[in-house]
Amino acid sequence: MPATARDPLGTSRVPVAPGLSMFDPMFIGIDEFGEHVMLDVVYRNLLIAGEPGGGKSGLINLAASTAALADNTRMVLLDAKFVELGPYRDIADAFIGNDIEAAISVLKRLLTVATNRYQWILSQRRRKVSRDDNLSVILTIIDELAMFSTVLGTKAQQEEFEGLLRGLVSLGRACGMPVVAATQRTSWDIIPASLRDLFGYRCAFRCTTHGSSDVILGQGWADLGYSATDIDPDNRGAAWLLAEGGIPRRIKAAYLTDEQIYNIADYAAWMRRPSGITVPAPSTTSQWEMAA
Amino acid sequence: MSKSTRGFGFGRKSGTVTVIEQKVSRSSARNARIAFIITAIIVGLLAMSVASDQMHPILAGLLAAPIAFVAGALLWMLFRIWPVLRILWWWTPEIGAGLALVYGWITLANTTPAPVTFAIMAILAGVPAAVPAIRRRITALAWCFIVRHRLRVCFSQFIIANKSGSLPLILWARPTPVGERVWVYLRPGLSLSRLQKRLDEIAVTCHASSVLVELASDSKKAAYLRFDIKRREVLTAKVNSPLLSVIDTTNIPTASTAPTDVPTALDLPDVPAESPLVTATKSATNGNGKKPTKAAPVANTFDDDPWD
Repeated sequence: MPATARDPLGTSRVPVAPGLSMFDPMFIGIDEFGEHVMLDVVYRNLLIAGEPGGGKSGLINLAASTAALADNTRMVLLDAKFVELGPYRDIADAFIGNDIEAAISVLKRLLTVATNRYQWILSQRRRKVSRDDNLSVILTIIDELAMFSTVLGTKAQQEEFEGLLRGLVSLGRACGMPVVAATQRTSWDIIPASLRDLFGYRCAFRCTTHGSSDVILGQGWADLGYSATDIDPDNRGAAWLLAEGGIPRRIKAAYLTDEQIYNIADYAAWMRRPSGITVPAPSTTSQWEMAA
Repeated sequence: MSKSTRGFGFGRKSGTVTVIEQKVSRSSARNARIAFIITAIIVGLLAMSVASDQMHPILAGLLAAPIAFVAGALLWMLFRIWPVLRILWWWTPEIGAGLALVYGWITLANTTPAPVTFAIMAILAGVPAAVPAIRRRITALAWCFIVRHRLRVCFSQFIIANKSGSLPLILWARPTPVGERVWVYLRPGLSLSRLQKRLDEIAVTCHASSVLVELASDSKKAAYLRFDIKRREVLTAKVNSPLLSVIDTTNIPTASTAPTDVPTALDLPDVPAESPLVTATKSATNGNGKKPTKAAPVANTFDDDPWD
């Protein structure tokens, strides 16, 4: 029986508001019982993978939209395809297209920020940031991870990118700098286990082989029956979600149309502009220096 | 012929059902006997010690004996009829609904004239049948009652917990978008992993498409489980994002999205052969600036020829 007419979502219960915070769990869709799936992205990271047309971009855009509307949240966007995260480029601190040098540079800056934040946290006699710190959340979103780690740039640059990304993913989770990464190709050379295991949430959209499903979820899940190959190709947005320490569960990611994405991005840009969170106040120091 | 029929009937009688009933009956008799003895001893001793304060201990003993016997007998009776009480308890909602229906109907028919009676009945039955939301809600609630009985059938018929045949406590059930969710507290002899091996059989018994069982999330007790009975698929539904409800789409100016330089080389012939992807930043400005003027006519003629 088709469930489309029933609208299993009572979306009004999901806590979203203009005062949304990234420290709130992020709504990404429903599970197989129609319950909401909420991810605590700040203290974990999210890895999304699956074959083209599986619905990855829906989830990526959901994360970006949530971050765009969230209070005190900054975005760093790396999108080799430009169009997935392009709508948010006006409100992002950095938007990197297919430029691996810029990507490496921004990752280095992020790592410096992370190190500084840890020293600040140390000075506060704690071990991780909390909502009350009033420290901004810096969400790094990478679409088409494979482009940066295998296609663009030289071998050395790709390795440097991978190393920096691994650093950011492992450092970012306690200092409010989570990473959301997505890739089409699921193989060991793009997502080595050492990188994958740093992601607290792993979301496998449809894959063609048990092996590639295991690359995302973890070794051995396919043998236990948790394989992204059994997802119906026509059911876009259906995925297996593995949260740290649990067993994978079936979810259906929420979907935003292009128009809705641009509406959200426009609204977020309009909402953020007066606060000056993304558009820095025009620096007058250079003018003063020139005048002096 | 008659022999084989008798044999068949006999075989059925000595099947699983009868064995469990015998087990239950035997265990109930044993429990009743033990309850009788323990109650009689405790009540007898208490009565004797209280009475001996007022009279000679032998007289007190004589007085305590019948009191102990009566108290023990009461407990014995309670234990003996417990299986029947339990069945009545299981079917309380159905019995209550049946009685309410019969007596409600009789009262209604006696107090109102026939056209009014039928009008009220038509409203009572027609509105839930006509309004889809109410109809679905009632159907879902009805399934909750049904599924608790079906789960009990599973536990009494083929998931045998222990020698005395005690059944798990089937707690409340509530509808979910895909079916029902039932909470169960296991009795000694069963475990989560044992149930997980028999999910397909439970699904068949519950007339469901599949069943999942896991620990009830708010508890770490191994005995406290949650059954998810799936009848429908919701993962094929289109899920909307709640973010849309918090944005205002009417009066928002478009963000300053005009990109700095939109490339004009939108076809392969427009891009020079030597332009590699990596060093795009340097060569792109040159290539894009020059190439479209050269290559555009080529692309146009190429496009026009086959289709005109």
